[in-house]
Amino acid sequence: MAEGGIWRLALPLAVAQMLFFAAPLLLLAATSVATDENLRDWSLRAWRDTLGDGFHIESVLNTLRLGALTVLATALLAVPLALVHLVAGPALRRVILIAAVLPLLTSVVVRTFAWIVILGREGVINATLIGMGVVTAPVPLLQTEHGLIIALTQIEMPLMLLPLLAALARIDPALLDASASLGGSLARTLWKVVLPMALPGLIAGATLVFASASTAFISQGVIGGGRLNYLPALVWQNAMVVFDWPLAAAMAITLMGSVLMVAGALSLLGQRASHA
Amino acid sequence: MTALSRRHLLGAAMAGAALPWNAAQAQAAMTAAVYPGGWDEALRAVLAPRLREAHNINVAFEPLFAVDQIAKARAARGNPPFDVFVLDPGPRVSGIDLGLFEAFDPTKLSNRAQLPNGYSDAHGAAVAAQVVGIAYNPTKVAKPKGWADLFKPEYASKLGLTGFQTTFGTISLIEMAEVFGGSETNVEPLFAELRKIKDQVAAVAAPAAMPGLFQQGQIDLMYTNTYTVTLLRSRGVNIDFAVPETGAAAFVTTMHIAKGSRNLDSAYKYIDTMISQPVQTTLAAEPFFFVPVNTGVTPGADVPMRSISEITNFVSHDWTKINPLRAQWIARFNREMAR
Repeated sequence: MAEGGIWRLALPLAVAQMLFFAAPLLLLAATSVATDENLRDWSLRAWRDTLGDGFHIESVLNTLRLGALTVLATALLAVPLALVHLVAGPALRRVILIAAVLPLLTSVVVRTFAWIVILGREGVINATLIGMGVVTAPVPLLQTEHGLIIALTQIEMPLMLLPLLAALARIDPALLDASASLGGSLARTLWKVVLPMALPGLIAGATLVFASASTAFISQGVIGGGRLNYLPALVWQNAMVVFDWPLAAAMAITLMGSVLMVAGALSLLGQRASHA
Repeated sequence: MTALSRRHLLGAAMAGAALPWNAAQAQAAMTAAVYPGGWDEALRAVLAPRLREAHNINVAFEPLFAVDQIAKARAARGNPPFDVFVLDPGPRVSGIDLGLFEAFDPTKLSNRAQLPNGYSDAHGAAVAAQVVGIAYNPTKVAKPKGWADLFKPEYASKLGLTGFQTTFGTISLIEMAEVFGGSETNVEPLFAELRKIKDQVAAVAAPAAMPGLFQQGQIDLMYTNTYTVTLLRSRGVNIDFAVPETGAAAFVTTMHIAKGSRNLDSAYKYIDTMISQPVQTTLAAEPFFFVPVNTGVTPGADVPMRSISEITNFVSHDWTKINPLRAQWIARFNREMAR
């Protein structure tokens, strides 16, 4: 096959992407600078309302912070588990892998509603705490940011764990022996050998978790509730209930742009790490 | 010769295969939007079989909330993805304003005489009613007397709030505003009161999340319709309906034919069958618990009326006045409730 041939193989996907992804995206951008959804006239009103409004800016920052905190929580829990996976025997490895993939097999809606049962005022956690006498009144967990982060950490965990396991699986066990035989302590081996090699997986996981948690419309609404404002719910509300499509479009682009920026920064970091 | 006979054979086989296809074509088909959940289950179980038996019409359902129906029909720009809408008053007025409905001819409904006056008009027909008031858990809180009670500390800390994005939410909040001196077009007094309790309330949530929060004991009070109360009780939840002292509010759910529908005749028969006495009787009973609009059907025990003709005694609202204000109320509610 000629040099150009291989590109032709990707043509169907490229055409489909142009039609069903790039074109609607352009339409979205056009809608955000129009006076209404029929694009009759141009106006920057939607952008002024999005970026010039303290409440909306705060919602953007809330959304980004939620993504960042979820990344932090999933990374802190996933790294030790991935290290156990690294040194475990084949049977335990399989158990860890199945446990990591299992949550993906249930719908996100089911997982989210299950968290109401756990975090609620009369939920599992509060019943246990009150039963043990740790607290006398229920601790508010549902409808709080920390409750939402707890739930998202479980919901998004596979997205962090799977790339991490894949990255660690590529480490040659002989490297660990080499480090040990050269006098490297366990901590030094972890820090100097394992972590640098796990970094691409960690960064891939962080990108996925960040993008997924900051746009987790259902979990944000159901666990977080109406007192926490995040961009996905505002986009939905403006598009579907208020019928302000230009504002919804401007917010959608803001959401996409800010998530892409963080993802871009992370992937840049990943490239640096893998070339270092 | 062989090729010819093979072709004949093939033709005959195709004609044979086509026979049942032709028979099926005599059956009419249409698509109707339906609310996801209870409505979807009920109409599939009761209305669809009845429509097939009586008129040989096969209906496909598209589960969509009212606002999603409007958004989808709007995005389709004159090429409706379904033939019949089912809407609450707010989205109904939006649909009329946006010109999404075919002109409706009530005389095509054979059962229209069994509807109360004004329940079918040039836009569509009412197919169910909703009665809105306060739902409370009788094992946790005393029965509230009225809307103002919800703002007392002992109630507020168990209250679940939801905003203006639904019809029942909007009219409940308007009712509260009126108790505090506001009106259908002025909800300012409500926001002043909400500001005082917003840090104590047990939850501020999406309308769809409310029943789940109630079931889990996160909230023991909410504003909702009798349908939700009866449905939750049938699933073992401790819940009762309280009619506020200012009266329960009522509104009707209506069906409309989508502009550009190619199945007009089937669509009329679908709506006609929906309001017929046998369908309304079954829908009013367990496990569906609809509030019937057919005057010949008795509403269920939780509904504070013995016949739909009593609905005129209930609090009603003018959605042509509410709709233009709703967008700013929704945005305002977000801001007021933000931590």
